[in-house]
Amino acid sequence: MPAEPSTAPPAPRPAAGAPLLRCTGLVKAFPGVRALDGVDLEVLPGEVHCLLGQNGAGKSTLIKVLAGAHAPDEGELVWRGEPVRVTTPQAAIDLGIGTIYQELDLVDGLTVADNVELGQERSRAGLSRRREARQRASALLARLGHPEISPSAEVGSLPAAAQQVVSMARALSRDVQLMIMDEPSAVLDSGEVERLFAVVRELTAQGVAVVYISHRLEEVREIGDRITVLKDGRTVASSLDVRDTPTHEVIRLMTGRSVENVFPPRPAPVEDAAPVLSVRDLARRGEFTGVSFDVRAGEVVGLAGLVGAGRSEIVETVYGARRATSGVVEVDGRPLRPGDVAGAVRAGVGLCPEERKSQGLVLGESVVRNISLSSLGRFARGGLVDRGRERAAADEQVAALDVRPRDPERPAGDLSGGNQQKVLLGRWLLRGCRVLLLDEPTRGVDVGARSELYALVRALADSGVAVVVVSSEIEEVLGLSDRVLVVADGEVVHQGPAGELDEHRVLDLVMQGGGARRGSRASTSSPGTSAPPGPTAPPSTTAPGPGAPTTHGSAA
Amino acid sequence: MSTTRTPRTAARRSRSRALALPTALAVAVLLPGCVSNAAPEEESAEAAAAPAAGSGNDAPGDEVVIGFTAPAADHGWMAAVSTAAVAEADGYEDVELRQAEGTNDVGLQISQVETFINEGVDAIVLLPVDGAALTPIALRAMEEGIPVINVDREFSSPFAARSTVLGDNYGMGVSAGTYICEQLGDQPDAVVAEVAGIDSLPLTQDRSQGFADALADCGLDVDNRVAAEFTVESGEAVTANLLQAAPEIDALWNHDDDQGVGVLAAIEAAGRDEFIMVGGAGSANVMRDIQEGGSVVQATVVYPSTQAADGIRLARLIAQGKGLSDLVENEVPRSMTLYAPVVTAENVDDYLPMAFES
Amino acid sequence: MSVSSSSSTTAQPGAALGLPEPSPEPGASGGRRRAGLLSGSAGRSAGLVLALLVLCAVGALTAGERFASVDNLVTVLRAAAVVGIVAVGMTFVITGGGIDLSVGGLVALSSVWATTLATQALAADLHWGVMVFTALAVGTAAGFVNGVVISYGRVVAFIATLAMLVASRGLAEIIAGRRTQIIDGVPGFADFFGASVLGVPVLVLVFGLVAAAGWVLLNRTTFGRRTFAVGGNPEAARLAGIRVQRHTLMLYTLSGLTCGIAAVMLMARTTTGSSTHGTLLELEAIAAVVIGGTLLAGGRGTITGTVLGVLIFTTLTNVFVLNNLSTSVQAVASGAVIVGAVLLQQRVAGRASSGSGRH
Repeated sequence: MPAEPSTAPPAPRPAAGAPLLRCTGLVKAFPGVRALDGVDLEVLPGEVHCLLGQNGAGKSTLIKVLAGAHAPDEGELVWRGEPVRVTTPQAAIDLGIGTIYQELDLVDGLTVADNVELGQERSRAGLSRRREARQRASALLARLGHPEISPSAEVGSLPAAAQQVVSMARALSRDVQLMIMDEPSAVLDSGEVERLFAVVRELTAQGVAVVYISHRLEEVREIGDRITVLKDGRTVASSLDVRDTPTHEVIRLMTGRSVENVFPPRPAPVEDAAPVLSVRDLARRGEFTGVSFDVRAGEVVGLAGLVGAGRSEIVETVYGARRATSGVVEVDGRPLRPGDVAGAVRAGVGLCPEERKSQGLVLGESVVRNISLSSLGRFARGGLVDRGRERAAADEQVAALDVRPRDPERPAGDLSGGNQQKVLLGRWLLRGCRVLLLDEPTRGVDVGARSELYALVRALADSGVAVVVVSSEIEEVLGLSDRVLVVADGEVVHQGPAGELDEHRVLDLVMQGGGARRGSRASTSSPGTSAPPGPTAPPSTTAPGPGAPTTHGSAA
Repeated sequence: MSTTRTPRTAARRSRSRALALPTALAVAVLLPGCVSNAAPEEESAEAAAAPAAGSGNDAPGDEVVIGFTAPAADHGWMAAVSTAAVAEADGYEDVELRQAEGTNDVGLQISQVETFINEGVDAIVLLPVDGAALTPIALRAMEEGIPVINVDREFSSPFAARSTVLGDNYGMGVSAGTYICEQLGDQPDAVVAEVAGIDSLPLTQDRSQGFADALADCGLDVDNRVAAEFTVESGEAVTANLLQAAPEIDALWNHDDDQGVGVLAAIEAAGRDEFIMVGGAGSANVMRDIQEGGSVVQATVVYPSTQAADGIRLARLIAQGKGLSDLVENEVPRSMTLYAPVVTAENVDDYLPMAFES
Repeated sequence: MSVSSSSSTTAQPGAALGLPEPSPEPGASGGRRRAGLLSGSAGRSAGLVLALLVLCAVGALTAGERFASVDNLVTVLRAAAVVGIVAVGMTFVITGGGIDLSVGGLVALSSVWATTLATQALAADLHWGVMVFTALAVGTAAGFVNGVVISYGRVVAFIATLAMLVASRGLAEIIAGRRTQIIDGVPGFADFFGASVLGVPVLVLVFGLVAAAGWVLLNRTTFGRRTFAVGGNPEAARLAGIRVQRHTLMLYTLSGLTCGIAAVMLMARTTTGSSTHGTLLELEAIAAVVIGGTLLAGGRGTITGTVLGVLIFTTLTNVFVLNNLSTSVQAVASGAVIVGAVLLQQRVAGRASSGSGRH
């Protein structure tokens, strides 16, 4: 990691004075889990304090405790030198703690202005003062660098990034002294991230403290002042200076081990094998046209491109979740019926969809039932499910994939992102697919779990499965795949071995674009794509990254 | 007699045809209406329509147009009311009846009356969905010079009707209670049970009050009371529980013979026959049971389903400017409360023709 | 319930905190499964069982032997049969993320269609089973229509079944001519359904069989599993390869079938078919299902809870009548008992299932 990666001058150092917030020995137990098991955190006024940890380390719980959504079982909160109890969200707001949640807490049916004002509506004689509200919202949005978002637009109709901005505007509309941001950059493109950073710097310059959570270590390096690392509900390192802490040390603290190789090595390509999945001239009106590619057994094919280029649409159409306008999809030489998911599954195709929670899992159902969902017939005799065999089979997957917590009766909704992804993989492993389609398999998954997932995907391919991976992170596509398809504006603009490409080449291809859909609002979402022109590693079979020794899967 | 009761005739017919099973099932499932249940109406209607002899009122007079509106016939008694009224009008050559579609919507009924006013009918027979709600429009009709005959459910203003024909709900209770008093004689500990209709309706409250008052007269009271909803299903359900609540009953009054089908089903299922049962309203089914004997039902109290038919007759007379020929008066009276007679095995033959099919 | 919570709390922390785990003993999973079964049926419904027991205690205290008699028990169970059978079908529909408002109308239509003169004549001719078959066929067919309109026509279930409620009752009125159709001259029908097997009336037996079959279907079969998935997250179910539309169609058809069975029960109880049968049945059934613990939003459902919910309702009415309470007092007490039962259920269930982290 370069010593000075930041392009902007570092935020002014806070005067080492009395801490704004100090937590000691926080404990929060949920039935069966001690989500926080002794957490210490100290935040100084005017600093950007980064909170790091793997999924399930307790970051989200800690935030909820600070925001008053959960009451801690033990431990002490000291705010400006005074011990406080924050028992309700309103109490936190009153203290001056603003929170931007990862799961956006906006009301879809209300306008932007209404959402910004939510909970602090100003009214005269019971009538809301809508014009003033709109003006205030406009001002806040402009300050956040998004004057184009209309305060009277309905929030549900906005793209995810804009919703994030609205959520920030809401937090800013209050008089905050501590702003907590839970993965604010997850859905932002690089330009938007820059604007976000500008806002953060503006806040800190005014003496506001920011607790910043991100899986992208690059960002932490750029914006952060100090780091606190959580692991398994405990603080393993607190208030480290960002500058003095090398990345590998951070990863070691987060994972408890040092990560050497993020991407598993690729085996030699098997050119002569017959294709398992064969896509010919697939098209869907308004989304993509003329998509043709083959995937052989044991091969990983990646789809690279910008968000909105049509990658997810392509895999969902291959799967039958969307009905193709024209074209053929064949598995082992037999064509699939368009728009027939159940038929595709029977033919041996599996999909781990982009939105795990809304498209993949039945969150209220147990891990066992989520894993067995697509293979129920196998455990049934005369329609009756043999639950012993089902459980045993699911146990096997849970153990093989190392799903944590190890309790397969736990509802899938309780699991962290990485573990939820493993449950989905387990579903298809159990079913035994010929073709596996993975859409954004590592979104919201932390560093340690990522390399596990990469290894799993490679192991699957080695066992003879044809794998298709879609990812917004070009580095991930390049590192994981044998072959890469570059998609731009609904067309495949390039196909070739991953080893022949690097990030710049992919970006060039993407920028030249396809001609299928002019005027589509594609936006970059890979932080790597717009990273400042630092020294980029030459194409390599392992992680290419800005000068770093292949140690950061997520921080490209 | 209703064909509802005699499916065996139909059975014999189809047996002779010797239908194969699949075809037969198809007939049963696909063509429910092929043997219509609608036939029996005419029989009883004709009987009801037969003009009473010896009255000068039946002599043909001026042609009159009578508007008639009543609630939806979603209950056997209400259906019988409309049928009888229409049959009555058919019996007079000098009456043209405008019948509005039965409705339970107050607003719709008001507009029906408005239509009658606009058409300039000679008289309106109105059985309101809700007496109070229909009062304003009835007042307007009266102001326009159209006499309104109010049937069964009373208006809230005495000026809204030229003449009012009411059944006697309180009297029903009194008749039932008096009959039970007579039957039980001098047994002050006798257990009396009551299956009421919809409890929130004033008519149910009136019936129960009359019943209680009459029983009190001979030193009895209602020991167990349940309320059903005028449907067979509810009658069965509440009676099943009632029979558990009262292991020994001497007499039981059921307000309504429609729900009475269910009441009897529950009694039969429980194998109880130690008491006498009195019905209410006077359906043909119950009267036939009384006629045949052998049932717990010994009597029923009539709540005449011919009151709208009476309304039609009064409307005709008023429109033609006649009085009731059997009365000394020159004019039709302001109001009439119909008697609630007790029908027993002795007089059932007189009442069966006027009874309604549930 | 205590079994489930203790076993999971002891099993959890180690796994969650990544501590070295004891190798899973073979017995552990078995114990867990037994605990799951407990919390799955009786455990999760413990509050309802408690509420029912309290009701029974009140009944026994206030009405003595009149309440605590075999006869009265049979009366309560017979009363529960009709709404209970419909509620079992309703449990499937609601668990699958839908709602069926048409059940009352379907029961009326089935009962009327099965008791027309034509059907009765045929039944007298061939076998009383003709009437049963007709009722089941009509109910199933109407449920099938519901399902087609909802899953393939993409009409909101609330609207589609509301329309069916109105239409089916109207059709029943047309067929019956608004008359009560009395079943007469069909040998065997009344005898069969009026009989008892070992002291258990056939009606109660049928209810028991339907409930047991429903329990197995929901909890032990692939069909039930898919119902949970479809109700919990239809999109995820679709992407997992489940034919969601076809499954939804089957759920409404199943509900229609239970309406047909309920219509036969009602025909047997009242010896009639009528377009007024099943009035407000949809409300009673939905109330029983929801009180039983089935999530109105779908994804979670329990037949045991539904049966308990129905029993609570019918026992309540029974106790009221035994005590000769006026209908107004009954109404007030019913409201209080419903809320009380649900509160009790939530408390007890919350404690019972806290181990599994459900909310």
